[in-house]
Amino acid sequence: MTEKSILLDVQHLTKYFHTSGGTLHAVDDVSFQIERGKTLGIVGESGCGKSTIGRTILRLLEPTSGKVIFDGTDLTALSKEELRKMRQQMQIIFQDPFSSLDPRMTVSQTIAEPLKLHGMIKNKAEREKRVLELMATVGLAERLYDAYPHELDGGRRQRIGIARALAVKPKFIVCDEPVSALDVSIQAQILNLMKDIQEREGLTYIFITHDLSVVNHFADDIAVMYMGRMVEKAPAEELFEHPIHPYTQALLSAIPIPDIHTEMKRIVLKGEVTSPIEPKPVCRFAARCAYACDECMKSEPELINVSPGHWAACHRFA
Amino acid sequence: MGRYTNLMLEIKGLVVEYRTDDETVHAVNDINLWIEKGKSLGLVGETGAGKTTTALSILNLLPETTGYIVDGTVSLDGEPIIKKNREGKSVPALLDSDMQKIRGDKVAMIFQDPMTALNPIFTVGYQIAESVRLHQKCSAKEAEKKAEEMLELVGIPASRKDEYPHQFSGGMKQRVVIAMALACNPALLIADEPTTALDVTVQAQVLEMIKNLRDKFGTSVLMITHDLGIIAEMCDEVSVMYAGAVVEHGSLEDVFDRTRHPYTRGLFNSLPNIKDRTARLKPIRGLMPDPANLPMGCAFADRCDYATEKCRGEKPRKQWLTDSHFVACHLYEDGKDEDRL
Amino acid sequence: MAALIILAIIVFAACTADLFWDYQKDACNINIPARLQKPSAQHWLGTDEMGRDMLCRIVYGARASLTVGLAATTFALLIGGALGAICGYYGGKLDNIIMRCTDVLLAIPGLLLAIAIMSAFKPNIFYISLALGISYISKFTRIVRSAVLTVREQEYIEAAKAIGAKDHTIILKHLLMNCMAPIFVQYALAIGSRILSVSTLSYIGMGIQAPTPDWGNMLSGARAYIRGNAYLVLGPGIALLLTISAFNLIGDGLRDALDPRLKK
Repeated sequence: MTEKSILLDVQHLTKYFHTSGGTLHAVDDVSFQIERGKTLGIVGESGCGKSTIGRTILRLLEPTSGKVIFDGTDLTALSKEELRKMRQQMQIIFQDPFSSLDPRMTVSQTIAEPLKLHGMIKNKAEREKRVLELMATVGLAERLYDAYPHELDGGRRQRIGIARALAVKPKFIVCDEPVSALDVSIQAQILNLMKDIQEREGLTYIFITHDLSVVNHFADDIAVMYMGRMVEKAPAEELFEHPIHPYTQALLSAIPIPDIHTEMKRIVLKGEVTSPIEPKPVCRFAARCAYACDECMKSEPELINVSPGHWAACHRFA
Repeated sequence: MGRYTNLMLEIKGLVVEYRTDDETVHAVNDINLWIEKGKSLGLVGETGAGKTTTALSILNLLPETTGYIVDGTVSLDGEPIIKKNREGKSVPALLDSDMQKIRGDKVAMIFQDPMTALNPIFTVGYQIAESVRLHQKCSAKEAEKKAEEMLELVGIPASRKDEYPHQFSGGMKQRVVIAMALACNPALLIADEPTTALDVTVQAQVLEMIKNLRDKFGTSVLMITHDLGIIAEMCDEVSVMYAGAVVEHGSLEDVFDRTRHPYTRGLFNSLPNIKDRTARLKPIRGLMPDPANLPMGCAFADRCDYATEKCRGEKPRKQWLTDSHFVACHLYEDGKDEDRL
Repeated sequence: MAALIILAIIVFAACTADLFWDYQKDACNINIPARLQKPSAQHWLGTDEMGRDMLCRIVYGARASLTVGLAATTFALLIGGALGAICGYYGGKLDNIIMRCTDVLLAIPGLLLAIAIMSAFKPNIFYISLALGISYISKFTRIVRSAVLTVREQEYIEAAKAIGAKDHTIILKHLLMNCMAPIFVQYALAIGSRILSVSTLSYIGMGIQAPTPDWGNMLSGARAYIRGNAYLVLGPGIALLLTISAFNLIGDGLRDALDPRLKK
């Protein structure tokens, strides 16, 4: 990976929330890089910090510490106005197609808004043309130009969200569980659409999801998060074939496979996720890990390069 | 269908509508379902297919003002729940008080959202014990003891029986709900998307638990879900629902290895293939029709690659392909069990 | 709809009153020989205790009520609404300070507060509106703040930020527009409430002063003569009732009309 080819460089990103019970470590010292045109999948279960990290990278939530270098620019050092202008290059698609659209705005108004905000197309007629183009790209019929979100189903609403994100021709899109709220057959439609657009426009994606089969299909590299830390990162195929971290192994084995001939060798984790408030400086997975040893209870494991492109944070491989 | 004996649940010709001032929603359109004692049936379909409505009908729990059982019969372990009266109209066969005795005792239901299934102002121990007390003649002490037993059975320390629902995580709440459901050792367990709201590792725990309990007590299970993976793991037979009708039914091998209906095939194609990660997904185009406005012919015709004029004009009838496998599709009218997709 | 028509009639009448009567002569001048006449062809609603035509006074009285109602409420909305929006959007210490001040204001009974303010000034329409407006600010602050807090959590607000909208755009275009419903309903109810308050103030003599006709002071003046002369209170009373009800109904109607979700 050359310097030029890295679009996003996240360095020691941390996000803490202050609650009455103590400091909640939502994202704790996470670092990774993404090459231009590639997709990084971030997987994990509830409370692992995957949604938080997506928003923190875009500074929709202010990072507690760490740097985010986007195409050579340090986002964390930008002023409010500079950041606002930068947003034209980095967009987000939200999980909930119902609450992420302003109910008072029509389809065309929602898609046109980013164009207006960044002064990209001043001419009204040209803007209209671009909106129709975008609608066609995402598969929304022309007759829906003046429709309101509440008149449409989840799949169509999500397409509006995608069109809105694409409107200003960004380089990078954070996709926060974009298909989780949709039915299986609609999910497939939207996933194909997103892949096509990526190939055509050369977009870089972060794809956040809890659904491992979807991320396997979609992402080039996958990062697994647990309680705010990144516990494993590897190219997708490698992760599925040789998962190293015990949590990743459990996660993979837990996916119900729609195939009656595959034997399910399921690793059932004991216990529950421990609290992310003021976690002790030990391996956060140790309490539930079948392989936990003394070292695991004494210090936090660092990410180690286990094989080319494959990183894991586990004392067993230190 | 005489080949099926010893049925725990039998639904024949069920038709359910929701009637409001504005429109009539045809939620369930003439379905037949049956579960043999000790077996598990998976009811699979997407949102709006009518799965939950079917489940509620079994327990006669449809919303009073809008839900109408227009036709059909339901019987539980040979005993009628919904029967036809002398005029041929479908009516509840039991008095409400008798129905209440069955709910929670003979038939138990688990819903999707554990957050709202538990009463926040009572402890979990109390809620499980309540279920026991309502259905079995025993003292309060005995009920409490049973509650403790059930908690241990689902993997929650009995010492937590005096805690309130909000003190538990989503997965544990669902386990409490399952403990409540199984406390009276029901003959039939209806699970409506029990793990959809849970994380995948928690889902694994809960599914393992349901399997163990089912094997231990010989409970019959109606598993309602949209996840074919769960069906593959938990069930003996599968019914695929679309727009209120069962479009395909059979054993696991029938439906998974010898898929016949285009919709079922479309569902399988929509899923990312773990084995071949780069293969393009083959989604089903279009949307499920509005159940208030169902088309005249086959409800799937608009989205089907194999649809003909006949499909659009005439509703397909159930066609048995083998002893265990039937499909409702014009492609198979001659009754031959061949792969026509 | 019906409410709109009623209101339109009242406003129209109030504005065009000069065409039918001469203000000084008919509404204000005392005319003792003609006093306390029951409704007749000459005086449709009778005459009051000073001999003035009731219908005429009621119509002129509408002017005072409507003016104060609108002025006071709009004032309260602008100030209270702005405070509420700022509190709701920014939160933190600012929110705390403003809300505690609001709580203090709310603890004082509205009418007493108005009276207290009025006692410091001359009782003319400007000061009355000001007093009634000030005593209502808190209510708008609370309502707007709570509406903003609810809407602020919606994802589309975050989406607006993500596409690069500036703060003021987010507040004005997305946030407040979606809070319209409760604000509008409150606005209409507030006008009704303010009209009632000005009538009350006038009734106790702290509001519109005689001889300017106002429904409140008309009721007050009629106090001694009610027995046997019910028409003296029926007129102004029904006028009050109709006007306030009209505003309430309009509030509901506006909210429904503005909700795109109800557009089928």
